[in-house]
Amino acid sequence: MICPEFEADIALYAGGDLPAARIAPLETHLAECADCRVLAEELRAGQALLRELREEPVEDAMVAQVRRRVLAQIGAARPSRLYWKLALAAALILAAIFVWPRHQARIGPAAPMAHVEPAPVAPARRPNIVPVRHGVIRRHHRRAPAAQPGPPVLVKFVTDDPNIVVYWLIDQKQGD
Amino acid sequence: MEPEGIALRMTAWRRENTGDVAAFERIMSQCERRVLRVALRLLNNPQDAQDAAQEAFLRLYKHFGDLDAARGYEAWLFRVTVNVCHDIARSRRWSAGLEEVPDPAAPQPDAYYESERAQQREIVRKGLSRLGEKERAALVLRDVEGLSTREVADILGSSENTVRSQISTARLKLREFAGRLLRKQP
Repeated sequence: MICPEFEADIALYAGGDLPAARIAPLETHLAECADCRVLAEELRAGQALLRELREEPVEDAMVAQVRRRVLAQIGAARPSRLYWKLALAAALILAAIFVWPRHQARIGPAAPMAHVEPAPVAPARRPNIVPVRHGVIRRHHRRAPAAQPGPPVLVKFVTDDPNIVVYWLIDQKQGD
Repeated sequence: MEPEGIALRMTAWRRENTGDVAAFERIMSQCERRVLRVALRLLNNPQDAQDAAQEAFLRLYKHFGDLDAARGYEAWLFRVTVNVCHDIARSRRWSAGLEEVPDPAAPQPDAYYESERAQQREIVRKGLSRLGEKERAALVLRDVEGLSTREVADILGSSENTVRSQISTARLKLREFAGRLLRKQP
C-alpha cells in the first residue's frame, strides 16, 4: 500500500526534482516502506524510458520538409531587388503609355515639337545701364505682358535599360 | 546551449540584416530537430507536428529582431512551439481520434514486439498522449527534453512550484497508465 502523503514527493524524487529540505525525510520513509520503494523504482524506470524518447531520431525528411516550407514562406514574403527593378520599369512604361497620348491630343497632330538643344552662345554684350532718377517714386508697378504659349518641349528620359526610353512633353509658357 | 553563443548568433543576425534568409537557415538548423521532437511528443501526429514547427519558426523569423539577445531565443521558441501545439490540438480535437491516428515516427506494429524496450517506449508514448496538455508539456520539456525545472517554468510562463506539481502528477499518471496496459497484456 503506497502512502498517499509521500506519493507526490516520490514522483519528484525519482526525477531529481524534490527540494533538498524534503529529501531526507522521504529517504527515511523509503527505508522502512517497501511499497513506496517499489513505486520509486517504477517511476525511475519510467524516467529512463522518457529519456529514451529523446534519443529517438526525428526523420530527416520531416526536418527537410519543415525547413523547405519555412524558407519558401520567408522568401515569398520578401520582395527581391529584381522585383523592385521590374516594378520601376513597369511604372515608367505605364507613365509613357498614359502621358504620351494625352499630350498628343492636347497639342494636336500637327503641333511642332521642339527639341531641347543647347542654345547658341551669344556674343557678350555690355549691360544696359539705366541711370537712376532720384526723387521719383513709382506708384504703379508695371504689369507683365500676358503669357503667350510657346512651343512644347520634348524631354527625353533615358533609363538603365536601353530598350526603355520615356519621352515627356511639357507645355511652355512665355517667360518660363 | 551556451548564452555567449546565442548572443553572438543574435548579434550576427542583426548585423546581417533581419531579412537574411541564409542567416536564418543557419539558426534554424541548430534547433529544428528539437522543436519537431517536442511537437511530435505533444501532438502525437507527424503532420500536425510539422505544421506546428513551421508556424513556430515563422514566428521566430518575424520577431527575432525584438528578442532579448541576453536571454537567447530558445526558451521563446519552445514557448511558441508549446502554444502552437496547444492551439492545433484544440482546433483538431486530436484526442477524440487518437486511437485511429498512427504515429509514423514511432515503431511500426511489427516492430513493437522486436524488443521489450520498444514496446515499453510505445506505452509511454501513448501514456503521454493521455495527459492533460499542461502536464504533458511540463513532462515532455522536463523528462524528454531534459530542461531544468526553471527553464520549463520560464517556457510555460508559470512558477517552478507549479511545474513541480505538474510533473509529479504526470509521472504518477503515466506510471498508472503503463501499469494498467502491462497488466492487460498476457
